[in-house]
Amino acid sequence: MDDVLVRAGSLARTYAAGGATVTALADATFTIRALDRVALMGPSGSGKTTLLHLMGGLDTPSTGEISWPALGPVGSLRPGPVAMAFQGPSLLPPLSVIENVALPVLLAGGTERDARDEASRLLDVFELTELAEKLPEEISGGQQQRAGLARALAGGPKLLLADEPTGQQDHVTGARMMEELMLEADRTGCAVVIATHDPAVASYCKTRWSVKDGRLITEVAAWA
Amino acid sequence: MGLTWITGLIRRRTGRLLGQAAGVALVVLLLGSLGTFFTAARGRMTSQAFAAVPTDWQILVTGGADVTVAQKTVLAGPGVTAAATVSFADTTGFKATISGTTQTTGPGKVLGLPPGFAASFPGEIRPLVGAADGVLLFQQTAANLGASVGSTVSVGLPGGGSATETVAGIVDLPYSDSLFQSIGVAAGSAPQAPPDNVMILPAATWQQVFASAPSGSTATQIFTSLSSQLPTDPGAAFADVVGRAKNVEASLAGGGLVGDNLGAQLDATRKDAVYAELLFLFLGLPGVIIAGLLTSVIASSGRERRRREQALLRVRGASPRRIVRLAAWEAGLTGVIGVSLGLAGGALMGRLAFGTSSFGATTAQAVAVAIVAGVSGFALSAATVVVPAWKDARALSIANARAVVGTPKRPLWMRTYIDVLSLGAGSLIYWQAVKSGYQVVLAPEGVPTISVSYFTLIAPLLFWVGAALLIRRVGGTALKRGRAVLARLVRPLAHGLSGVVGAGMSRQRTPLARGLTLMALAASFAVSVSVFNSTYAAQSRVDAQLTNGADVAVTTAAATGLPATLAAAVSKLPGVAGAQPMLHRFAYVGNDLQDLYGVNPGTIGSVTNMSNAFFGSGTATQVLATLAATPNGVLVSDETVISFQLKPGDTLQLRLQFADHQYHTVPFVYVGIAREFPTAPHDSFLIANSSYVAAQTGNPAAQTLLIKTNGSPPAVAASVRQLLGTASGANVQDIVTQQKITLSGLTAIDLAGLTRLELVFALLLAAGASGLVLALGLAERRRMFAIASALGAKPRQLAAFIWSEAGFVAIGGSILGGLVGWSIAQVIVKILTGVFDPPPEHLSAPYGYLIALGGATALAIILAGVGMLRATHKPTMSILRDL
Repeated sequence: MDDVLVRAGSLARTYAAGGATVTALADATFTIRALDRVALMGPSGSGKTTLLHLMGGLDTPSTGEISWPALGPVGSLRPGPVAMAFQGPSLLPPLSVIENVALPVLLAGGTERDARDEASRLLDVFELTELAEKLPEEISGGQQQRAGLARALAGGPKLLLADEPTGQQDHVTGARMMEELMLEADRTGCAVVIATHDPAVASYCKTRWSVKDGRLITEVAAWA
Repeated sequence: MGLTWITGLIRRRTGRLLGQAAGVALVVLLLGSLGTFFTAARGRMTSQAFAAVPTDWQILVTGGADVTVAQKTVLAGPGVTAAATVSFADTTGFKATISGTTQTTGPGKVLGLPPGFAASFPGEIRPLVGAADGVLLFQQTAANLGASVGSTVSVGLPGGGSATETVAGIVDLPYSDSLFQSIGVAAGSAPQAPPDNVMILPAATWQQVFASAPSGSTATQIFTSLSSQLPTDPGAAFADVVGRAKNVEASLAGGGLVGDNLGAQLDATRKDAVYAELLFLFLGLPGVIIAGLLTSVIASSGRERRRREQALLRVRGASPRRIVRLAAWEAGLTGVIGVSLGLAGGALMGRLAFGTSSFGATTAQAVAVAIVAGVSGFALSAATVVVPAWKDARALSIANARAVVGTPKRPLWMRTYIDVLSLGAGSLIYWQAVKSGYQVVLAPEGVPTISVSYFTLIAPLLFWVGAALLIRRVGGTALKRGRAVLARLVRPLAHGLSGVVGAGMSRQRTPLARGLTLMALAASFAVSVSVFNSTYAAQSRVDAQLTNGADVAVTTAAATGLPATLAAAVSKLPGVAGAQPMLHRFAYVGNDLQDLYGVNPGTIGSVTNMSNAFFGSGTATQVLATLAATPNGVLVSDETVISFQLKPGDTLQLRLQFADHQYHTVPFVYVGIAREFPTAPHDSFLIANSSYVAAQTGNPAAQTLLIKTNGSPPAVAASVRQLLGTASGANVQDIVTQQKITLSGLTAIDLAGLTRLELVFALLLAAGASGLVLALGLAERRRMFAIASALGAKPRQLAAFIWSEAGFVAIGGSILGGLVGWSIAQVIVKILTGVFDPPPEHLSAPYGYLIALGGATALAIILAGVGMLRATHKPTMSILRDL
């Protein structure tokens, strides 16, 4: 039981839009365990991001149930056991790259020294050391995305939810980034769920689920 | 497309639109209501000037003209409503024998008044004791003769001989200066003092008494009253009245010379009208400019978003012209809402503060001001929305419109130190002006043009500009270089996040320094306006107290003075904090008869204000202490010191009336200079120890009792009247009634109403500047807070970011604004020193208002912060979906 990080049953998320009801996710049932590597695949607008938000406790399901047996109640998920890496630019504009990466550690109550040490290490992992003191507006979109991933790994989360983490990288950098991400996840014992279109990215995950028109299909065969 | 765009803006950008409209509304409200108020005030000043003159023209009949014909000609003149013939005759003096002692006065005047004069020219004669018509004796003459109602007085006739009249009443001649003016003398010649000895006779009696008076010893004047239908502007009214006077003189064809009392009054009022304009400039315009800046900041807070929207439009093929047209739609919508709200608010404010939505102005005037205010509102809306959009559309490519990156170049003013230069130049001009003791407004008597030293007015303008820019520079520099200090300062709020919060604030220095500047400007406006108004109100009270003597003053013309037990009896009345008797006598200094006041220097300050400005040889405390230490000491006027070449310690021989009604010489020692004193006239007077005057004259009777109240002065005055009884003949006046009676031209513009108006605006501006700017600044960073929340920031951690920034803007802005506001109030008070009578020694702090201001600002900031905290409590899904 202790290795179940997320358990969801019949999850659904609907939105009201202009008088109509839009179903972003319907009847999703799944379980994520420690050290899982899951790739969420599906076309744009299929519900991948909604599912990630629900897994991370950022959003509340319209119907169904979701719990985090090994991680605690929803209020204690972030900062700490669950971390999000966003698809678009998500660094806080007034903070430097290293301050952004250190932020989750500080938010979790860590000291400035610990936070800075952890951030320096992760920036080194993602080859961003030279950009540590730069502001987000002073670096490229791809560099921002790498910094965002480094920030997600700061503080040693137990579950990393990454939305198109290599969307703004070239193939070579994207591949290197994924390798570093998986190595870091292995090192810290972190489960990883990645929403992606890219089969190359999905290939880093043992499990591949697909999402289509808001429906989650988990019976996809294991990749390797 | 315009309509679609507008609909979209209303639905999606409601907050920004309303914020901009609120800024425009504030400008329109301020401009409209202050403009209408001052326009109405000018009209009130004219009507007050008209009401303050008992006789509009005194026309001296000359060249042997027929008086009846001249009177008819005058009555036919433009706007003349009444004309009465008044006869003047010289007398060699008056003589009366009272209680076996005969008193004789020097030369004087005898007036002959037609029946009904008092009704046509009320205010010229104020009955004190006895009848209001018949044979009347001027109170000073009565005092000199020791005469009272029923006394028989002999009038020395100019050709020899005398006539005997029985006094029916004692009167005061409040306007004796104008009543006995020299008509036809060249402008600028030395004014002639009114006679000390005057008797008033019915016209028929006068004719009998002076029937055989030699020519040259009598004169006839036609007292004329004009219609109150004058142009509202004091300057225009002055020109109109002067023109009419010339017209009448021309009609009389050399048979009369006009003594233009109303013209002279309006002449003085013109100066007050210019001061009123300056008050508008100093106390109103900065508010309008700050409200404009506020609107600009609100509009610019959405500029990045607008740039992105423009970029999208241009990607989809919209031309720059189309984009500007869409911005014009937005500006038009903002303008319509803002102008409507502003005008409606102005009307409401007028009704609440003055009981009329037009602030007392005519409909045409109110409409004209509303049009100007409305046009200004639309212009502001266009300047803050269309102009930036036009500049962006012209200057930016689609690519860089979508993202403007990099450190912006330091603005030109910062590189050229315009702030420091402005403050330096302002200080220099101010120092020059104060050093030379100049008057900002000069209205030479009788000259139609008024000279205003506009150059000096630049000083406060430069102070405003310099201070605003310096705050911007200092704020920016402090945020840039003081990261470590900031982190330490925010540690109590941010705890472990203090370094990040400090770093974030440092990098947000541009919007934060802008918010700080605006907050400081709004606070400085509120502080300067309230301090100026409070100082003005305090001085107005000092002025009224100076005229009235104290909160309540009891005076009598009776030779026996007030009852000796009155002070003790009054002290026991409810609402009385203290009562001090004061002797009021007359003394000859050489040939000059002056008022002499006998006081107890040690206690007089306990019942009435003893301002340092009253004395010319030291502070009030020093001068009164010197007087107290010198029993036979006397304080005299500057003129007396110059005329008699006095040096401190010199003996001054004065002639005072003793109990035997004869004038005897009494030695005094000159110890200091008195420029003004409660109840004393504006010209020369004397202050001495009451004990010495009483002992020397053998008459301890006090003619005045000064009462300090700790309750309502009118209520205390009523109690004192009751205590005295109706037959006492004493006059009891309270300061509240006195303030209404002695309204100067400037006081007539009802600064209290203006104060209410401005203080409410200042409060709105301060609250708006702090709350709105903070709210919009934070709203622009909703995305940042949503990300922080998604990363797991707890509400208290988000609050650390919000309250740290709010605290910086609010506390920093309030402190800097308070300092700037106080300094600017000091500058304005010094520059507009002509507004004050007497000039203030120090500024008055309106503590109640300042506390309310701080409270309103804090409330606005708390509301903005709490609103933002609520919004960030749960990350906004629409933002997160975009990440």
